[in-house]
Amino acid sequence: MAGRLVSDFTHNGLIGNHQCRNPWHRRPQGVVTTKASLGAPERAKKILMMGGSRFIGVYLARTLVKAGHEVSLFTRGKTPITQQLAGESNEAYAEYQLRVKHIQGDRQDFEALKSKIGEAGFEVVYDINGREAAEVEPIVDALPDLQQYIYCSSAGVYLKSDLLPHFEVDAVDPKSRHKGKLDTESLLQDKGVTWTSIRPVYIYGPLNYNPVEEWFFHRLKAGRPIPVPGSGLQITQLGHVKDLADAFVKVMDNPKAFNQVFNISGSKYVTFDGIARACAKAGGFPDPEIVHYNPKNFDFGKKKAFPLRDQHFFASIDKAKQELDWTPRFNLVDGLRDSYELDFGRGKFRKEADFSTDEMILSAGRVHARV
Amino acid sequence: MALSLQFAVSTPRQASLEISKLTPGYIASSLSLRSPSASSLHSLGTSSGIAGAVKKSSRRWRAAKTVAMAAAANEVSNRKVLIVNTNSGGHAVIGFWLAKDLVAAGHEVTVMTVGEESSDKMKKPPFSRFSELRDLGVSTVWGDPKDVGAAVGGKSFHAVLDNNGKDLDAVKPVVDWAKSQGVEQFLFISSAGIYKTSDEPPHVEGDPVKVDAGHVGVEDYISKSAFKFWSSFRPQYMTGSGNNKDCEEWFFDRIVRDKPVPIPSPGIQVTNIAHVSDLSSMITLAIGKPSASNATIFNAVSDRAVTFDGLVRLCARAAAKEAKIVHYDAKALGIDAKKAFPFRNMHFYAEPRAAKEKLGWTSSTNLSEALKERYEEYIKIGRDKKDIKFEIDDTILSKVG
Repeated sequence: MAGRLVSDFTHNGLIGNHQCRNPWHRRPQGVVTTKASLGAPERAKKILMMGGSRFIGVYLARTLVKAGHEVSLFTRGKTPITQQLAGESNEAYAEYQLRVKHIQGDRQDFEALKSKIGEAGFEVVYDINGREAAEVEPIVDALPDLQQYIYCSSAGVYLKSDLLPHFEVDAVDPKSRHKGKLDTESLLQDKGVTWTSIRPVYIYGPLNYNPVEEWFFHRLKAGRPIPVPGSGLQITQLGHVKDLADAFVKVMDNPKAFNQVFNISGSKYVTFDGIARACAKAGGFPDPEIVHYNPKNFDFGKKKAFPLRDQHFFASIDKAKQELDWTPRFNLVDGLRDSYELDFGRGKFRKEADFSTDEMILSAGRVHARV
Repeated sequence: MALSLQFAVSTPRQASLEISKLTPGYIASSLSLRSPSASSLHSLGTSSGIAGAVKKSSRRWRAAKTVAMAAAANEVSNRKVLIVNTNSGGHAVIGFWLAKDLVAAGHEVTVMTVGEESSDKMKKPPFSRFSELRDLGVSTVWGDPKDVGAAVGGKSFHAVLDNNGKDLDAVKPVVDWAKSQGVEQFLFISSAGIYKTSDEPPHVEGDPVKVDAGHVGVEDYISKSAFKFWSSFRPQYMTGSGNNKDCEEWFFDRIVRDKPVPIPSPGIQVTNIAHVSDLSSMITLAIGKPSASNATIFNAVSDRAVTFDGLVRLCARAAAKEAKIVHYDAKALGIDAKKAFPFRNMHFYAEPRAAKEKLGWTSSTNLSEALKERYEEYIKIGRDKKDIKFEIDDTILSKVG
C-alpha cells in the first residue's frame, strides 16, 4: 500500500506514510477496496491542534502538513512552536516552519479561545493537551464546521483489573487521576459531534518530556545499577510516539473511527526488568545490574523512585489494528534505539539525573531488598 | 431483548468481520451511537471490582456466535472430520467440545480415542459422557495411532486433527496414514509451552520456540508433508465441563475448606486460562476455512491474562467465600513449585492474534462466569466433601510461619 513518502526524521531514509482516506470507496461490481488512498488527500483539511509543540504534536503536525493539510497550533507561545528535529534537513524544516500556523492563546480563557478560533473554519480538531471537559466544550461550541474532534485520552482511565490486557470495552475508573479524560469523552458523546478518542499507554521516543526511557538511560550512562520496585515482573507497555502520530492520522476522516475509542501502543508488552534490558541494548550498554527493593520499606517523600506505576498496566491494540489497518512500526528495542540515537545519545534530555532515591535504596543494602 | 443488527455485507471477509463483532462489547458501543447519553459510553467500575472489570458475555452469545461464525464465513461445509483424541490429560476435553461444535457447524465427525473402550480411563470425563456425542451423530471409536485405518474401518476424511501426540513418535504414524489416504487438511494440537521465555509478553505466533521440543518437531514434519492445508494450535490451560485434568479445582479445594491458598511469590505472574469452547470454536473455524487457516500456527488461548492472585480472587468470588493468599518463595524454602502449584511459576501468557487476524475469530471466555459454572459442578459432584490431604501446603505454611 503506497503513500506519500515522508522523512521519518532520522538520517536513515524514508518510510511510507499510510494515509487512510475514504475507506469505503467502492469500485464497480462491489469490489471493496477498503483502504484505497494513494498520495495527497482528496481535500486538504483545516486542522486546529491544541498543544502540539512539545512531543506528540511535533510529529503529528509535520505529517499532516506534509500531507497537504493546513495546520494551526494553538499554544501559549511559551516555548518555540517549531524545533528542528535531529536528522531533519534544513530545507524540510524551513518548509514546515513556513506552512504550519500558530494561534497564540490560553485555552483556559474560554471566551478568548472561542474568539480566536471561531472564524477560521476549522474542520478537524486534534486535542493533544486537553485535560478537563470544561476545556473542550468551548472549542466544540465555537466551531460550526467541525467534522471530527480527535482527542488524546489515556489508558490510565481503565479500572484496575486482574484480567488484562485492557480492551476498549472494559470498565473505566471514575475515580482515576485521569477522570477529566473520561469526562471529556462523555462530553464529546453528549454534544453529538463526531469524535474519536485515542488511549495511549506509556509513550516514548525522541523529545519525550516524561522521563520514561530517559530515567533508564541516565543510570545506564552513569554505569549505575537500576533499582526496580518489587519483583520486576510487573508488565507494562511502551508505544513509540511516531506510531502514535500515525494512528492519529489514520483516524481522521475515517468512518471506522467515528465515535470510537482506540488503545494505541506497542505491539508487545514488557516487564519492568525487561525495559531496563531493552534500554541497555538500545543504547549499546552492557546488560544492567538490576536491584529489586520493597517500596514499602522507604519514604521517598515527594520524589518518584521509579517512573512507572507499580502495577500491571497494558492494553490491547487489536481493535486499532483491525479497524484502522494500523500497526506499530517500531518494536521495543528498535524504538528505544531511535529515541537514544536522536535524543539522549546526543547529550539531550529534559530532566537532570537525580540519583537521590537510588542512593537511599542502595544504601539500605541488598539484605533488605527481598520482596 | 431482541437485537436486530443490519450489516451491509458484500464480501465474505466483510461478513466474517461483521459477524466477529457479535460480542456484547461491540454491540454496546454501536448502540451508544444511537443513544447519546453519557452512561452508555463508559462502563463504570468501582474500585471494589478489581477481580474482573470486563464486560460480560453469556453462554447464549457464545453459542450463537459459534454457529453464526461458522455458517456465515465458511469456505467449505459438510466436511468429514476425524479427531484422534488423547485418553487422558488436560487436552482430552478439547476433542469433546470440538466434536459438538463441528456437528453444530454441519460437519460429520468421528472421534478415535487412543486405547481401549473398556479401559479404566474411560470412566473419567469427558469419556464418561461420550453418549452425548453419539446422540449427536458422532461416531466414537477406539484404537491405536499406529493403525488409524483399522480403528476407523476404511472411512475417508477431509480433515484429521491429532489431539494426542507430543512428539514425532506418537504423531508421525497418524500424519503418514492421513497423507496416504489423501486427507486434505491436517491439524495438530501442539502446546504454547514450546515458546522461549521472553522479557516481552505475550507469546505471539512466530516468536522463537524451543527447537528441541517434541511438539516443534511435529509441527515441522506436518508443514513439510505436503498436505493441501495444515494448521497447528498451541493451547495453554483450559477450563470447562468434561475436563479430564484439574485446573481451578486446586483453588476450590482450598477455598471451600477455608484453607489458606499458597501462591508462589510475587503472585503477579500471569497465565492464560481459556474456556475450552474458545479452542473448539477456533478449530471449527479453521476447518470451515481451510485456505484462511492454511500453513498457520494459532495460539489456542483466550485473549486475557489473569494473575495468580487474581485467579484466587475470581475463584473465591465464584464460591462466594473469602480467600487468604499466602505468598512464598519456592526456591528459598526448597519447595518444588511444579508439585506445589498447578501452573508454571513464571509469566506464561500467549495471545490468540493469528486466529483474530486470519479467521475473524473472537474469544468468548468470561473467566468469572466460567468459574461460577465450574464451582456449581464442583459442589454438585460433592468434591467439597472429599477428604483431601494438603501435605505440601502444610509444609509451605509451616515454613512461612
